[in-house]
Amino acid sequence: MPRQPGLRYLLAAACAVIGLATVAAHPASAADKKLTVAYIAPSLDISYWQWVAYGAKTQAAKLGMNYVEFTSENSPGTQMNNVRTALTRGVDAIVMGPVSSSSTPPILRLLKSKNVPIAFTGIGPQPGSTDYTSAVTANNYETGKAEGSFVCKAAKALGGNKIGMLSLPQDRENAQKYLRGAKEAFAADGCDLVQVLQTHGLTVREAVDQANDLLTAHPDIKGIYGMYDEAATGAAKALQTRGLVGKITVATADGSPTTIKLLRDGVIQGLFLQEAGGQGIDATTQVFNALTGKPTTKDIPLAEPLVTKDTIDSPEAQATIKRVYPPSAGAF
Amino acid sequence: MMRIFSSYRTEIAIAVAIVVLELALGILVPNALTFGNISDIAQASAPLIIMAVGVLLVVITGGIDLSVGSIFSLTGMVTGLAMNSGYNSVLSTILGLLVGVVFGGINGFLVTFVGLAPFVVTLITYAVAASLAFIVTNGHSLPINDQNYYLLNGGTLIPGVPNFVLFCVVLVIVTEFVLRRVVAGRWVYAIGSSTNAARLLGIPVHRIRFSVYVVSGLCASFASVLSVSYISNAEGTAGEAMMLQAIAAVVIGGASLFGGTGSAFGALLGALMITVIQNGVNLIGINSFWQGSVTGLVILVAVLIDRVSKARR
Repeated sequence: MPRQPGLRYLLAAACAVIGLATVAAHPASAADKKLTVAYIAPSLDISYWQWVAYGAKTQAAKLGMNYVEFTSENSPGTQMNNVRTALTRGVDAIVMGPVSSSSTPPILRLLKSKNVPIAFTGIGPQPGSTDYTSAVTANNYETGKAEGSFVCKAAKALGGNKIGMLSLPQDRENAQKYLRGAKEAFAADGCDLVQVLQTHGLTVREAVDQANDLLTAHPDIKGIYGMYDEAATGAAKALQTRGLVGKITVATADGSPTTIKLLRDGVIQGLFLQEAGGQGIDATTQVFNALTGKPTTKDIPLAEPLVTKDTIDSPEAQATIKRVYPPSAGAF
Repeated sequence: MMRIFSSYRTEIAIAVAIVVLELALGILVPNALTFGNISDIAQASAPLIIMAVGVLLVVITGGIDLSVGSIFSLTGMVTGLAMNSGYNSVLSTILGLLVGVVFGGINGFLVTFVGLAPFVVTLITYAVAASLAFIVTNGHSLPINDQNYYLLNGGTLIPGVPNFVLFCVVLVIVTEFVLRRVVAGRWVYAIGSSTNAARLLGIPVHRIRFSVYVVSGLCASFASVLSVSYISNAEGTAGEAMMLQAIAAVVIGGASLFGGTGSAFGALLGALMITVIQNGVNLIGINSFWQGSVTGLVILVAVLIDRVSKARR
């Protein structure tokens, strides 16, 4: 086969063009490469995780980071696939609301081998784990205790000491912590927890039905303890229907535009604000710090401060609410 | 009398079972038999009854509608969004109901005129509607601020009878009448028994089959607007659990998933049975995670009773 020097030059020129095009398509050199953070949510069908995502996204923009998002559809398998896909896409750090604490060890092993920092939001890693940058969670035990005490005292002021509870599924670590704290508060303050009903779907409709059943089975309760936002909305609806607003006290963890309005209207009496957006903000800040050589904090258990009708408009309460949900969700 | 007993043997058995269950519950929790609790059961079951009646029609034709739960969610979100955007409650409700008509129409068209399997078609629309339920409001739940909207569910067109009861009773009676006494209703059974035979008899199979999917979608949407009216809130996940419950209600009520059998009274009783179980589990204080197992067991018993009674005949 005769030599074709022209073809060789043509190939070299083509390689040069492709090389230049590649550089042009990826203008960021190693020196000025923009960092990318991936937020992996357990699911995005409930507001809480959307608000964490909002916090992570806005903080990433503030810190000059790219932001990508994945949802694990409550599946540990999908969660692991998401982590691998994120690594393939070249993300520099991960912020994750894990499907469960027990699903995190293989992820931590993988990320350690790739030297990629990870911060958890909402749900922490498996107890005993150390290979993570930060875990930004709510202090569920202390909140459980504080809410238990609040509901118990309010129930006693209404002339009773029996409390019903609308609980998150008790297979969740945060639900167990809420319950443990609440039980300790009830024991200390002299209240009886007469029934605990666990949610399946975290919907208002289910909470309305459960609140009605609670009131039927125990007509003498004077307090309803909610562990999640929809619980209070459902309990409020049941009380409104039965003409019991003000005769039974309702408090819950979380907070949303709906429960803020119910609080303002005096239908529910206490909200223990969980900073969903704030968790996303703090977790993103922690992985950014890890990437830029700044100090990080391993465990950040955020307090869930109580707001009532009287304190809702205080500057402190308003500042906290702005770390709960984005303006697009509704009024503060 | 004997004819009625013979025609509604399954339904009577379920009704007796519900009464026995409720009486047993009353022994354990006396408040279970109060008017308030019975009213709670009626209210909790109303959306499920309406959705189940729609699903029943599809099931009788030998089809299945997996999209009703998502249609329920999407309808709520569309209704809530329209109301929060300033539309009046009547127009918002109509827009919500249109969701069911459109999705039911898509289901009916693809099943009937394109010839796709109902399971596949309604699985697709289930996924699309579930997705749209989040897209339309970016996933946020929507409070209903119209103070009078509760009247759609809790008002009284007939003095002393809440609307949700009235709507359920009218829907069930009209559906049962159409199925038993109107020619088009008999055609629904005929298609489910044997589509080929129905076609040879000159029954407009396509038209009937298309219609039942539209009615199923409409029923799911109507159930949703009633629910939104009741809880003054629209949520993207509101209908997630309802699709399986509606199919379960239809099966408990004596319908065969192979088509050709079933009644509106059966669907009503099936939905009531599921709600009574949920209510009972909560009142007794059994871990609510058992609800699914108990409901599954009831379906198994219902199917076995149906199988035995048919074998005897």
